[in-house]
Amino acid sequence: MPSAALERAKFLVWLAAIVAASWLSDAAWLAAGLGLVLLAAGRAVFRLTRRALLATLAFTGTVSLTYAAWFWWQQDALPLDWLVTVNLRVLLMALLTFLFIERTNLFLALGFSRRLSFLLVLAVSQSLALRRTLDEFRQGLDSRALVRVGLRDRYRAAARAAGWLFDRALANAHESARAMQSRGMFR
Amino acid sequence: MIEVAGLHHDYGGQPSLVDIAFTLAPGEKVVLLGSNGCGKSTLLKILDGLIAAKSGRVDYDGQAVSPSTLKQPDWRRRFRREVALLFQNPDVMLFNPSVYDEIAFGPRQMELDDVDARVRHWAGLVGVTEFLDRPPFTLSGGEKQRVALAALLALEPRLLLLDEPAAALDPRATGWLVDFLADLPVTLLVTTHNLGLAPELGQRALVLGEDHRLLHDGDIEPFLADTERLIAANLAHVHRHRHGGLEHRHWHGHDWQ
Repeated sequence: MPSAALERAKFLVWLAAIVAASWLSDAAWLAAGLGLVLLAAGRAVFRLTRRALLATLAFTGTVSLTYAAWFWWQQDALPLDWLVTVNLRVLLMALLTFLFIERTNLFLALGFSRRLSFLLVLAVSQSLALRRTLDEFRQGLDSRALVRVGLRDRYRAAARAAGWLFDRALANAHESARAMQSRGMFR
Repeated sequence: MIEVAGLHHDYGGQPSLVDIAFTLAPGEKVVLLGSNGCGKSTLLKILDGLIAAKSGRVDYDGQAVSPSTLKQPDWRRRFRREVALLFQNPDVMLFNPSVYDEIAFGPRQMELDDVDARVRHWAGLVGVTEFLDRPPFTLSGGEKQRVALAALLALEPRLLLLDEPAAALDPRATGWLVDFLADLPVTLLVTTHNLGLAPELGQRALVLGEDHRLLHDGDIEPFLADTERLIAANLAHVHRHRHGGLEHRHWHGHDWQ
C-alpha cells in the first residue's frame, strides 16, 4: 500500500522534472533526460513510448512541419536545432507524465489539497466514462462491419466519435461544475 | 440458433456474468430482464461477438462466436449479416453523412443490387423517409433509434439483439416499436428493465439476477406474478402510498422508464 508521503514526493519530482524540461534548451540535456526516463520505465518502455508518440504526434507533427516549411521558405534551410529540441522536449514531457501516472496513486499524491482532489475526481470520472463510450463507438462500427471497413468509413466513424465525445465532455463538464458549485466549490 | 454454455465474464475482477447457459430457437421472441448493472448489455455484446467472454461458449448455428473466430472473412460476413445488435445508445452506431447512407451502409458492403429499394423500403417501414437527406446526428434520440434499426434491418438479419430499445422513446413511439417488433419475422432477444413492457416484447423471459446468474428461463407471466423472485432480481420496489389520511406500503413491479 503506497504511503501518501511517498506519492506526494513522486508528484513533486514529476513537477520539478516537467519545469526543468520546459526550461532546458540544450538538445543534449533533453536527450539525456529522455534516456533516464526510458531507463526508469523498465519493461513498460515500449508501451509508454508508443503511447507518448501517439499522444504527441498530431501536435508536434503539425507544428514541426509548418515551422520547417516556413523556415525553408524564409532562409532556404531547415531549422534542425529547433526541430530536435522541441520534439525531444515534447516527447520527454509526455513520457514523464505517462510514467508518473502509471507509477503514482494520484488520489494519494493530491490528497493534500481538497480542491485538487475534487478536480482529479472530476477528470478521472469523465475520462473513464468517455473511455467506455469510445469502446462503444468502436464496437458500434465493428458490429456493422461485414467486411474490413475502409479508411474513409473509419475516418468518418472516428470523426463522429470525436465530435460526440467533445460535445458530451463539454456538457458533462458544465453539469459537473454546476453540481460542484451547488455544493460550495469554486467560490 | 444460439447456444450459450457456461458463460463467465468479469470487468477487472468484478463479475459481470456468472455461469450463463441457454438456447434460442429460430423464430423465438425472448425478453432479457434484469436490473441496471446485472450484465444484460455485456451478454448481448458477447452474443454479437464484440467481447470475448472470459470462459464458456457461444455458438451460432453450431459455429463458435467470438472476436477471434470473427476474423475469418467468410464467417464474419455471414454472421454480421445474419445477427444484428441495436445498441442502447444509437449514436455509437451512426457515422455516415446522411440517413440514406446510414441505411445503405450494410447493403453496400454486401454489394447488393437493390440498395436504393432496400433503403426506401426500411426507411418507410420505420418512418424515417423524411430524414433521408439529413445527417443522423441532427435527429432526436428516438429518431436516431429508428434510423439505427432501419440500418440493421436493411440486411434482413435472422437474429436481432436489441439493448433497451424503448429507453429513448416516448410513449407513442414505444407503442409503435412493440407492434413493429411483434410483426417482424426474426428471432428476437430484447433487454429491458421495464416490466410493463416486457410481456409485450416476448413470451419467454431470461432474467439476470443481481449476482449476475440466470435467475429464470421460461414463460414470462409466471415470473412477473412471483413477487419474491421480482424482489430477488431487484425488479420490484416498495414505497409508501398516501390515500387521504391513510398510509400503507406494498411492492410494485418496476415498470417506469
